[in-house]
Order: sequence, then C-alpha cells, then structure tokens
Amino acid sequence: MNRLERAIVALAPIWLALAPSATAAQAAAQEIGGLRAYWHVFIAYTIAIALVLGWVISIARRLRDVEERLGRG
Amino acid sequence: MSVTDLRRAGTALTALGLLGLAMVYGLSFFWVSTESSQGIVQRIFYVHVPAAWTAFLGFAIAALASGMYLWLRDERFDRTALCAAEGGMVFATIMITTGPLWGRIAWGTYWTREPRLTLTLLMWFIFLGYFLVRRSSDSPERGKRYAAVTAIVGATLIPFIHVSVLWFRSLHPQPVVMRTDGGPALPGDMLALLLTSVAVFTMIFAGLFMLRYALEGLRHQVDMRGRAAAA
Repeated sequence: MNRLERAIVALAPIWLALAPSATAAQAAAQEIGGLRAYWHVFIAYTIAIALVLGWVISIARRLRDVEERLGRG
Repeated sequence: MSVTDLRRAGTALTALGLLGLAMVYGLSFFWVSTESSQGIVQRIFYVHVPAAWTAFLGFAIAALASGMYLWLRDERFDRTALCAAEGGMVFATIMITTGPLWGRIAWGTYWTREPRLTLTLLMWFIFLGYFLVRRSSDSPERGKRYAAVTAIVGATLIPFIHVSVLWFRSLHPQPVVMRTDGGPALPGDMLALLLTSVAVFTMIFAGLFMLRYALEGLRHQVDMRGRAAAA
C-alpha cells in the first residue's frame, strides 16, 4: 500500500463514525428555512470571524505604530 | 508580567483560540446533530451564545476595573477597563448581529421590541458611549472618571438581561444551560459543542485582551518618554 492508501484506511473509521450523524443533520434541515437558513448561518459565522480578525489586525497595527514611535524616541 | 511576556502569552492564546474557532465551525457543520424544531439555523447558537457570554465577561471586567479605578485612581485599572470594554464591544457586536439572523428564520423578523433585545441594545449603546465619554473632556483624568461611571452603569444591565426572559413575557428563548430549575436542557453533542465554543471565545478574548493591554503598556512608555523629554 502506498502512503495515500494507508491514510485512507486510517481515516476510514473516523469518517464512518461521523458520516451517519452528518447525513442525518443535513436531512432535517431541508424543511425549516430552506436554503435561506444556510445563508443566514454562513453570514453569521462570517461576521463572527471577520470581527475577531478585524480586532486582531487593529491591535497588530496599533502595536506596530507604537513600536515605531518608541524606536524613533 | 512584562510587556514582552504579555505579548507572547497573548499571541499564543489568540492563535490557539483561532484554531479552536475553525474546529468549532467544522464540528458545527459536520458533527453536531440538527435541532428538530429549528433546523439548520439553530447552528447560529454556537456563535451567538458564546459571543454573548464573552461580551458580558468583557463588560463585567470593565465595570469591576472601573470601580477599582474610581476607588484607587490607579492607571492600570483604567487600562484594564479600556481593554476589556473594547473586547466586550467586539463580542457584543457579534451577538447583536448574529441574533437577528437567527430571528429572521425562527421568528420571521430580524428585530422586535422585546425586553432582552432592547436591554442588550441599550447596553451596547452605553458602552459605545464609554469610548465617546473618554474623549469628551479636555481633561483626560476627568474623561477617564466619566467613562468609569459609564462602564459601571452599563454593566448593571447584565443581570437584568439574563433574567429578562424569566421576569417578562419574552419571545427570546429561555436559558438552556444556566437554568434555575435544573441542569442544562440540551442533548450531549450540542452541549459539548456549545461549551467548547464558549471556551474558544473566552480564549480569544483573553489572548487579545493581553495583547491590547500590552499595547496600552507601550503607549504609557511613549507618554512617559514624551513627558521626560518635555521636562
């Protein structure tokens, strides 16, 4: 067996354990809210990560500016 | 803890937290079961509730530190309050933007005049005022004092927001974890993912709070140098 085949064999039990719950999870969702519900979930998750990353970037920029000022002084 | 140590610890915690957030997103889509009455949109819960918890944590720390600042007039407490309030605002914004996205599918409307929603929005505006009040006065010391009072007033709403769904007739769902009549009312997988997400959001807040506090420490050093050069 090559490396790829060994990886597939190793991951197969994990996939088999997760697949039934994932399939069942998607099946129930078809009835309530339809595709629009998926969009709302994606938008909510995007807002969360965007705001967190925005705060990360904002702090990083301000840190860089202050360090430059300290370096000049 | 020195500024360098704070930056190292903050960077490590933030990186771990962001990895955890990616894991929470993955588990939310491919592992946790779908709630039978709400369907897929219930997954917003794994972002909305942890964001609410973290926002309340940030605002509570801001209020406590503000109280200590008013009492002891120690600048470090003011810096703590400022950093915690900034984090609280970020997570409160996540809370009040993701909630309506859920409400549109579950209730049929983005917003309704309802006690918990109204009080939460009021708290968000009060903490927005916190940042405006800091800069409103010619005297920085006076601005800090006014801001400290604003933070304390804002944080007094937290317990009312929590009990508003119990005290008033409310559209907002009742508590499912911190319930007054027993333990959590969630299936095991949903509870596990929710608690994981709460831990991840708290970790991100803690990491960024440390980095933000390190930034204030460096700004303080710049101010001290400026004053020394002017003297």
